[in-house]
Parts: sequence; structure tokens; C-alpha cells
Amino acid sequence: MSEAVLAVRSQSRLRRFLLRLTFVDVALWGLRALVLVVVIGGTIGTLIKSRYGVTQWLDFVLFGLTIGSIYAQVALGYTMVYGVLRLINFAHGDIMMTGAFAGYFVANGFDRSGFLAANPVFAILITMAVSVVVSTSIALIVERIAYRPFRHVRGFAPLISAIGASFFLEQTFRGLFGSSVKSYPDLHWHQAQLNLFGYMVPKIDLLVIGCAVVSMSILYGIVNHTKMGTAIRAVSEDKEAAALMGIDVNKVVIFTFTLGGAMAGIAGVLYAFVFKQVYFFMGFTPGVKAFGAAVLGGIGNVPGAMVGGIFLGLFESVGPSLFFDGFGIAAPYQLRDLIAFTLLIMVLIFRPNGLFGERLVKERA
Amino acid sequence: MIRLPIAAARSFALTGLLAASSAALSPPAIAATAGGVTDDIGVIRIPKGAPITIGGYWVISGPDTALGTDSMRGAKVAFADQKNMVAGHPINFVVEDDGCNAEGGQTAATKLAANPSIVLVLGPACSSAATPAAPILWKAGITDIGTASSAPSLTAPDRKPDYDGFLRTIPSDLGQGKADASWLYTKLGAKSVVPLHDGSPYAQQLAAVMAKNFAELGGKVLPTEAVAPTDVDMHPVLTRIATEKPDAIYMPVFVAAAAQLLRQSKEIPGLEKTTLVGGGSLMAPEFISAVGPSIVGFRICYPDVSPDAMGKAYPQMVAEYTKMFGEAPISGYHGNAYDAAVIAIKAIEKVAKTGPDGATYIGRKALRDAAFASAFDGVSGPIKCGEHGDCATFKPAVYEFVSSDPSTFKIGTNPKAIFP
Repeated sequence: MSEAVLAVRSQSRLRRFLLRLTFVDVALWGLRALVLVVVIGGTIGTLIKSRYGVTQWLDFVLFGLTIGSIYAQVALGYTMVYGVLRLINFAHGDIMMTGAFAGYFVANGFDRSGFLAANPVFAILITMAVSVVVSTSIALIVERIAYRPFRHVRGFAPLISAIGASFFLEQTFRGLFGSSVKSYPDLHWHQAQLNLFGYMVPKIDLLVIGCAVVSMSILYGIVNHTKMGTAIRAVSEDKEAAALMGIDVNKVVIFTFTLGGAMAGIAGVLYAFVFKQVYFFMGFTPGVKAFGAAVLGGIGNVPGAMVGGIFLGLFESVGPSLFFDGFGIAAPYQLRDLIAFTLLIMVLIFRPNGLFGERLVKERA
Repeated sequence: MIRLPIAAARSFALTGLLAASSAALSPPAIAATAGGVTDDIGVIRIPKGAPITIGGYWVISGPDTALGTDSMRGAKVAFADQKNMVAGHPINFVVEDDGCNAEGGQTAATKLAANPSIVLVLGPACSSAATPAAPILWKAGITDIGTASSAPSLTAPDRKPDYDGFLRTIPSDLGQGKADASWLYTKLGAKSVVPLHDGSPYAQQLAAVMAKNFAELGGKVLPTEAVAPTDVDMHPVLTRIATEKPDAIYMPVFVAAAAQLLRQSKEIPGLEKTTLVGGGSLMAPEFISAVGPSIVGFRICYPDVSPDAMGKAYPQMVAEYTKMFGEAPISGYHGNAYDAAVIAIKAIEKVAKTGPDGATYIGRKALRDAAFASAFDGVSGPIKCGEHGDCATFKPAVYEFVSSDPSTFKIGTNPKAIFP
């Protein structure tokens, strides 16, 4: 084949490509390029500046893992409910708040009586148990009152009901316990550190990450290796077919809310351990972030929610310093949410179903 | 495709509310004559025997409730001292919650401006609320007397005409920032400082004034940091600050964020020798509740509100406050609010005219000018308003928290005065 023919074909392909190119394509490629420049340029600039030592970077990673673990636990509630009901449970962050409040009252009582200092492990377990019971009960009540009547309704009614439930919980707790910020007990072991290969790690962070890993592992085991877990996955795949196969969909939904509520209860206590405050509006921001994490991982996918949460936490913590310090941007930490949601957008541009969502779709196919 | 419906829904709802409220703004006031009173921007008619409505807007919900509630109570004590009467009319006091933020301030001001019976407005406690609210009120011809909103821009000589109706009984932070820099450098012995703000006009401007004065004294001002009022995870920003190893962090932020900064700073390696210093927004029992035991030893720079520094009538005013509300003052700006209410009463009585029909007529511009001409010995100290609206005299102080029990909150005891 002559060179002239090849050249003509090449020109023809280029022309077809240019004809197909839309403004949106150009904008998306521009966005990708911009993000790439910021990430690579900022990282190189930051590393050249050498403002942070290894200890600081490890601290950022540890903070990211800690908050990411909490996001992941909350994200599981979103993703599981979405899986079985195709409903975004916007009250889930507030269900976490109810658990944190319950834990606060128990922990505060233990602190005043000296029980928390004398028996910290036992006291924490009781605090968590109460938090789980309260958040699970409220999750089930919300499901029964706000979601079940809309289970077969199409349109936006379930979504509006979920938002309404969120506001209702926030304002109820505000009315019951006031609008001021309440301080979680702060014990000396909260400040304790563990020497890990010469690096001092706060024990509270290890406790939070450890609890999150254990609870998520248990949840993963339930979903993947139990009869009820199989039923949950079956309902997630096809609710009608599952019902025809004899699965009690109602029972599955209730069990899903129970699991989600329990995870939210544990997350609420862990969140309060780290940030040491409870507040009626405290569930909103982590709720939105956790929803973002669930979307990032692939909504409806349990491992996706876990990975999405950790990923988001790490990016939020490490990102501002790593990407923006190099450009000399003042107060880069203020751009934390920009990084988190740019990450979300970028992942959705490249993988519209999230990090793990596509695999689920293929498996279903 | 997955979206973020709740964030979007709340954002759209807020945008819609603000748009609707902006649309409902009163039209610019115009010259009018009524009942024999002529005024450049309008005349208010109060029928005989009808109440005179005075508005108020403060933060009366959320973590900073004490700041606004204390001011509101100060104004109520002043009205009670006048037997709730002004110019022969009973006082109708209408209060809105501004949430200590711009959106709340805009909403509160819009509601007050839309009420044609409002004669004058007191408040707010937060500069974030005053910044959007004062122009809305003045556009409706309503004079606004701030009680704890201290951002310098609100009464700056080059302020926009939109703020011509705003005056205040709290000193500008130009004095506070200068005094704070001096205390940090000379008394605390800090040679390097990180200013940290939350983006609010109060915190941002106060941090900037302090930084300028600290540098002039010879101190090293390290890069300014910022957090959001709703941030909870302060570890990354504190870790970043720790790399600078500053002697002090100057953080005039509000309760929720300050509590997180204070508690989490104890966990950050490199900040062991760094002193954290707060501002006037933290003078509240809620701050003790939010911080817990870490509060002991924490210091805040604040105006001197000791009985010696206040006016002669201050102890009597505190006694009335305590009797009326069943507890001692819950923050430090009740005296300023009392004086703001006195300015309002005196100005109304000065310009109110009885018309031929027996009704009372008040010129809006005349009322503004009368308020700006105020001069008397207030409970918070001498009151004399300047042409740009500054009426108070500043005296610096520094307080230190000595107990983590919120029930022990009492200015002068917990926190106790350590300077002057």
C-alpha cells in the first residue's frame, strides 16, 4: 500500500474524529488535563519545598485512614439500603448522630461515676452497645414510618421523605437536647500513643481504625457468607425474582436497616471518640461525605463503600498539603472539600458506575 | 447517574429563600411629610396608644447562642428600666435569629425591613450577620445599632453609603487587634504567631489587625491559616501549623471550631510549647461545655468588662439582669446591648412628634441623626458616637479559664482576668 493512500486514510480518520468531537468532550479532556497538572505539579512543588517530614506525612495518612474508616462505616448504610430499595437514605447521617448522642449520655455518666476511667474497655463496649441499640431502633422506626409507605411509589416521593426524616431527626434532637455542642469525656488514654517502629501513633486512632475494620469484616462476612446475606444480595439483584424464589423481601429490608443502623451506631461512637463532640447537626457533613464515598466505590456495592470511604478520607487529609502547598496556596486545608468532590467527579467521569460498580454490573449481566 | 440530591436540595432551597427574600426588599425610602414632620427618607406614623416596634436580631440558636441571648437580655433590661415605654407608647420588641452567619443575617434583616412598623433595630452580635444585614435595613430607612459586631469594616471611614445607618456600642476590633498583638508580644513573650480565622468578617479582620500590629512590634507573623466554622477535623491544619513551630496561635474563631482546635491541638506533635489564644466570641459557658477539661489554662483576649472598667450603673444593671433572668450574665456584651437600647430610646424620644391627629410621627433620617449624636455615660462606659458609627471606648483585658465545669462560668471568676 502506497504512502499516499496511508496518508489519505490517516487524514480521513482525523477528520472523522474531529467531526465527532463535541464541546463537552473538549471540556472533559481539559478538566482531566487540569487535574493532572495540579496533581503532578503540586506534588512536585510540595516535595521540592520539603516543608513536611516523614512524620508529618505519616500523620496525614493516619488522620485520613481514621476519618476514612468512619466514612466507610457510614457509607455502608447508604450503599446497602440503596442496594435493596434503590433509595438514598438521607437520614442515615442523622441516624449516626442519634447513636453518638446515646453514647454521649452513657459515656458521660460513666465518666462522672469514675467507671470509664476504671474499666475503659468494658465502658466502651457498653457505650457502643447502647449506641447501636438506639441507632438501630431509630433506623427501623424511620424505615417503618418514612420509607415503607413509599416502597412501591415511583418518582421523588421516597427521596423527599428521606430528606424530611433527616430534618425531623436533627430538629427533634435539637429540641430534646439543645443546640449547643456537647463535649465527650476526654480521658488520659485518649492521649496515649504507641511506638510503632519509632513512629508515635495515637492509640485512639488505632482503636477507631481497628473497630472499623472488625465491624466491616463482620458485615462483609454476614453479607457474603450467611443465608440472610445471600437473600440481601438476591434482593439487590432483582427484588421481584427474589420474592418469587420465596425470599421474604420485607424481612430482608428490615435486616438491611438493622445492619446499617448498627454500623451507624458504631461509627457515631468512633466519630465522637476522635472529635470528642456531639451536636444535633453533626451527622450532616459526614453523611454527605459518606454518600460521596458510597458513590465513589460504586453505590450498591459493599466493598466499594468501604474502599470509597478510606479513599475519600485519605484524599481529604493528604490532598490539600500534597497538591496545593507546592503552589504556595495559603490555607490549603480550606480546599479539602474541593479535592474530595473533584476526586468524586473525576472517578465518575472515567468510571460512571464508581470504582467497583462496573464489576457488579458485569456480574449481573 | 448518581447525583447529590440532599446537598443540591438544601442549596437550592437556600438560594431560593435568599432570592425570594431579596425580591421582597422594601423599595428605597423617599422623602415624605406626615403629621407635620418632613423627613428625607420617610416618616413612621404610630397611632395613639399603639406600640412602638423596635426590632432586634442576634444569634439565639446553635453553639454561639450565649453571645446573642446575652445581648438580647441586655436590651430587655434597658426597656424594663423604662417600664417598657418610649415617647408615651408601649415598646413592642420583635427579635429574629440570625444564626451568627451571613445567610441568617440577610434573612433576619429582610424580615425586619419588611415590617413597616419597625422604627429602629438593635443587634447583631456577629459581624458575619451585620455585614449583609445593615445595608438591607438602611435601604428600608432603618437605623441599626450593633451590640457585639466588632469587625472594623462596619464603621470604617471608607465604608459604603449602604452602611450609613449602622452604628455600634461595641468598640471596633482595630483597638482589640492592636491590644492583642501588644499582649502577645510583650506579656506572653511570643515572638512568632500564626493568625487563624474562619472566614467570617470578625475573625478575618481581627486576625489581620493583630498580625499587622504584631509585625510592627517586631514579631514574626507566620502564614495565616483558615478553617471553616463547621470543620471538625483540625488535625491536618494543626499538623501544618506545627511545622512552623510558632510560639502562639491567635484564633478569634467561634465556639464549635475553637473547641475542636483546642482539643485536637493537644494531640499534635510539635505544638507542645505553642500557646493558643482565642477571641471575644468564646466568652460563653457553651464554650466550656464544648471543650471539656482541655479548656483549663486557655486564654481569650476580650474587652475589659470588670465593674471597674464599666460605667457606674453597671453593677445595678447586672443585678436587674440576674433578677429578671434568674442567672448571672451568660456572656460579656449585655452592657453594650443595654447602651444600644438606651441610644434607641433617647433618639426616639428626641425626634418623636405628636401630630394633629394625636398620632406620633418619627422621621427616619432624623432618628438616624439623633442616634449618631448620642453622648452619655453608659453602663458599658462612656458612649459618644462618631460620624462613622463608633460609639464605645475600648479597654483591653485577657481572661483565663480555670475550670472545665460550665456551671462555674462567670466573667472575672471563670474565666478569671489575668490582664490588666
